[in-house]
Amino acid sequence: MNRLKQLKPNDILSSTAVKSVISLLIALLIGGVILGVSGYNPLSCYGAIVKGSLLSPSALINTLVQMTPLMFTGLAFAFSSKSGLINLGMEGQMFLGGLAAAVVGGLDLGLPMIIHLPLTILSGMLAGGLYGLLAGLLKAKFGASEFIVTLMLNYVATFLCSYLANGPLREEGSLMAQTKTVLPSAQLPELVGGKNLTIALILGILLCVGIHLFLNKMALGYEIRAVGRNQIASETAGININKVTLTTMFVSGAVAGLAGVSMSLSGNNRFVDGATAGYGFNGVAIASLASHNPLAVILSSFVFGALRTGSLALSMTQRIQPEFADMIQALVILFVAMPALLTGLKIRKRRAK
Amino acid sequence: MGIESLLLTTLRMSIPLVIAAMGGIFATRSGMMAMGLESMMLFGAFGAVWCSYLTGNVFLGFLTGVLFGMVFGLTYAVLTIRFQVNQVIGGIALNLFTVACTTVLMQFVWGNAGNSPAVNSLEGSVNIGILAEIPVIGPVLSGMSINFYIAILLIAATTFVMFHTCFGLRLRMIGENPTAASTLGIKVRGYKYLAMLICGALAGFAGAYLSIDQLNMFSKDMIAGKGYIVVVMLALGKYNPVGAALAALLFGFSDALQINLQQMFSVPAQLVQMLPYIVTILVITFAVRHVKGPAGTGKLPEE
Amino acid sequence: MNSVEMKHIIKRYPLVTAVDDVDFCVESGEIHCLLGENGAGKTTLMKILYGMTMPDGGSILVNGQETDFRNPNDAIHSGLSMVHQHFQLVPVLSVAENVVVGQEGQAFFHFNKKKAVQEVQQLIERYGFHIDATKKVGELSVGEQQRVEIIKALYRKAKILILDEPTAVLTPQEVEELFVVMREMRSMGITIIIITHKLKEAVEISDHVSVMRDGKMIQSGIPTAQCTVESLANMMVGRQMSLSSTRRTKNKGDVVAELKNLTVVKKGKKVVDNVSFSIHAGEIFGIAGVEGNGQTELIEALTGLIRPESMSLKVDGKQLHGGANGFLRGGVGHVPENRNTRGLISQMTVAENMILGYHRTERFSKKGILNLGEIHAFAKQGIADYAIKVPNENELVSSLSGGNQQKVVISRVFSENPRFIVVAQPTRGVDVGAMEYIHDVLLNLRDAGAAILLISADLDEVIRLSDTLSVIYEGKLVSTTPADTLTELQIGQLMLTGSNEEVEER
Repeated sequence: MNRLKQLKPNDILSSTAVKSVISLLIALLIGGVILGVSGYNPLSCYGAIVKGSLLSPSALINTLVQMTPLMFTGLAFAFSSKSGLINLGMEGQMFLGGLAAAVVGGLDLGLPMIIHLPLTILSGMLAGGLYGLLAGLLKAKFGASEFIVTLMLNYVATFLCSYLANGPLREEGSLMAQTKTVLPSAQLPELVGGKNLTIALILGILLCVGIHLFLNKMALGYEIRAVGRNQIASETAGININKVTLTTMFVSGAVAGLAGVSMSLSGNNRFVDGATAGYGFNGVAIASLASHNPLAVILSSFVFGALRTGSLALSMTQRIQPEFADMIQALVILFVAMPALLTGLKIRKRRAK
Repeated sequence: MGIESLLLTTLRMSIPLVIAAMGGIFATRSGMMAMGLESMMLFGAFGAVWCSYLTGNVFLGFLTGVLFGMVFGLTYAVLTIRFQVNQVIGGIALNLFTVACTTVLMQFVWGNAGNSPAVNSLEGSVNIGILAEIPVIGPVLSGMSINFYIAILLIAATTFVMFHTCFGLRLRMIGENPTAASTLGIKVRGYKYLAMLICGALAGFAGAYLSIDQLNMFSKDMIAGKGYIVVVMLALGKYNPVGAALAALLFGFSDALQINLQQMFSVPAQLVQMLPYIVTILVITFAVRHVKGPAGTGKLPEE
Repeated sequence: MNSVEMKHIIKRYPLVTAVDDVDFCVESGEIHCLLGENGAGKTTLMKILYGMTMPDGGSILVNGQETDFRNPNDAIHSGLSMVHQHFQLVPVLSVAENVVVGQEGQAFFHFNKKKAVQEVQQLIERYGFHIDATKKVGELSVGEQQRVEIIKALYRKAKILILDEPTAVLTPQEVEELFVVMREMRSMGITIIIITHKLKEAVEISDHVSVMRDGKMIQSGIPTAQCTVESLANMMVGRQMSLSSTRRTKNKGDVVAELKNLTVVKKGKKVVDNVSFSIHAGEIFGIAGVEGNGQTELIEALTGLIRPESMSLKVDGKQLHGGANGFLRGGVGHVPENRNTRGLISQMTVAENMILGYHRTERFSKKGILNLGEIHAFAKQGIADYAIKVPNENELVSSLSGGNQQKVVISRVFSENPRFIVVAQPTRGVDVGAMEYIHDVLLNLRDAGAAILLISADLDEVIRLSDTLSVIYEGKLVSTTPADTLTELQIGQLMLTGSNEEVEER
């Protein structure tokens, strides 16, 4: 008995990393049950997912391609959460970021790549950032709940981009709702030839590290974390809450915008209406699994990138939609959000006695 | 095209919002944020179409929609009460789950992840002789389905239950101060579960209306934020049944307006489709600033 | 016969044994006073009796019957009722609704509002209260709300009524009225247990007194006739208050903080009413008062957290402007009233908490980049200087005890050597050792020439530390005198009534 106490099993179990892993496992288990009930062999399905996402060089590259935008949206949500804000507008911020990058990237200004590419990236960040800032302004000035506003802004952005891609910005002669391709001077250099894997991946990893440093080494980062943990104490300490709200929403939106940029400047090298749908909300799950730690976002976006890639591969051979991955992710959010995930089961046992 | 058509569309678009809002009132008044509403509506819509597809019976379709909604109402309650998941996060995760889950299920059932095939749905409208003869309103009313009258009944029923029964009184007390209710021996958790079941049933019904009354099929993510819009409407209506119903009319009107604008002028569809969402943002920013939900929202009795 | 018999009751919490093997008996039909300092375990003991808290050991008999209450509902069925210190009322519901809920009928049937109002109004009139049963509770005064709580108990035909600190929120007149009602209820055969830490009241109202200290029952069921205020005080505190150990200021300097015409209006009421004072270097200016007399608003105004109707605050002759940040920069230190909400961020580390508010000073950050080396060195120093018990500066503050948490706040504020410090409830919820330590630190800081404003609900603390003692009553400073001019009784009288007439001896 004494020995058990010294080991503190509760502390070990409640440590965030263990909790994340267990949440993921439970979610996969439930996914397996759903597959089983639907008449599929869960093991062979999961086998196909692993195979399709990790077990060959091209599969692995596909996973890294999928991981890239996910890392940005995951980082965007993790960052906003640090200040206690719930930015659910990554979807819209990403649409706008992607469209803005496609437009600026398509402008023939005769600029060399070294100027055109950064300009294009910045324009996407600015579009996403300003859209996030709009929600931040409504929050700071009018107290409007940021998560409902950002959710509604998603629909507005989606319709706006859809209109633009179908109308004024549509590529001449194209049957699809898409812009014209961006100039080579604005395309993200590829890491592996012809595989859509661009330096955006490196950029994303650097950004995760950068945000981590910002939060932990900068005075403003410190203020953001302080406000997120205890707004009243922060206010007492003279921290400007509105400034933190606006900064956070702008940065979070800009990072989400980068997700759109990374997709518009690779692959087809254009904005295709609806192509980025879903990546924004996946960010919530990625940040949850990472316990809102920017460095852990790298790992968790890899996990969900693999899941997404594997599910896409699975859907080629089975009647299982790639949305299966989204299902698992939603379950992960739920389980990670249970404060008593592990202890709760214990209490029930004790009561049963 | 004219005022009659606009009125008719407004009422039609408002019906599901009104029904879901009544469910939302039960939830909110018991201190549960109605964040999971979207998932209950979507699953209700799916269940209704599925059942109608299998049985061809529209009535059974509605019943299944209600049941599916209740399942998600209960799930939301268990997650937030038993497992103490934050109500906002829990609601959002459930909504994401439902969108993904129904898409996967659509593929399993119909082999198409975008739309279900057309199924039997509620047809025809109810005519009440005297009403039909009133100018302007008459022709509008004679075009309404039975669910219009059900929605009106639900407003009255919700008002009665909430403000004139012991159940409603206890529910309101729980929403305001769960600890106070608990010290008086009221079983707070039980009442909250019950409220969420009612909420789920009504939300499921609203979803079924959207899928097998207004349309005759299910399509991916067909609720499209209406669940969240209802949450804002509830605040605009100060969490009163009549107030929320009036707020629902505002949103129904903005929806009708965008439909009519599309038909009358060649305004690009996407631009006017934003209208309800922009109205929602304006409402939440300027109209509901000082509306506060029940004081005990999200709280459980203290030990 | 005994209405209540509690035997060998034990309640342990992770850090403390709140109730330690306590026996407690109450005779039927008496008013029994449960006396003790804050945190002595009185409320926990009563929550156990009422089924709100499960004991870790012991047995409870109510009217001779062994009981095992799992929740308040069980207790209500056995004829118990408890009026909590924080009222359990719903402001937006009417008096009648608040009273009858839970007993109003079958859940799914019609709620007969008329009948409820009628019944409640009858009950109100039988006890001579003047309350309209149809009024919303939120529109009632605090005293009236308490009566609604009592009506709730009477409506449930309570035979045993527990009142938790019922006089804490009442004016003296209201206290007298409450006592009349309590005697009336006693004459109708209701047993009343009143929890309090006020000696005078215990002597005035009760038939028997039981005294608790540090979770233990010191003496149970003493006939009140045999008690004096002094004998009870000794039992309650457990030692002679050693006021002699304190030291008064020796070198009072120039005026450091000068406050003029502070008025704060809240909901149309002047909660702080034209307060002015000046505090010198090397002086502790103490403000005593019953809580809720404007102390919180006074603190918030002095630290820039709220914008008062009118105020002029000069520190070292310089007028202060702006919000909390401006005041902080202007040399105002702040030890907040509630360290958990205002003082600390419990989910951040000790080091991070030690720089909160000062993180933008040149010492801790340059060009927006935190000087982590300096911060950790500073935190280590603070931990050593203030004897904070923590393995290292990277522990979360939430893992510290209350006393050590308070030391983190104090070390943060005092290390900056502010000229003027607002210190509120510096020793609330800390153990005796930490309390003595914190007092010592305050006195040292004063001797080093700081001007200190001390606001505390703990009268002993104010008397012990203050060089100048003021009493706040309904937002006004009603008396400001040099230390040791007034007796404790006189100060108490000022706190309760705002005037210093002769105290009636009872």
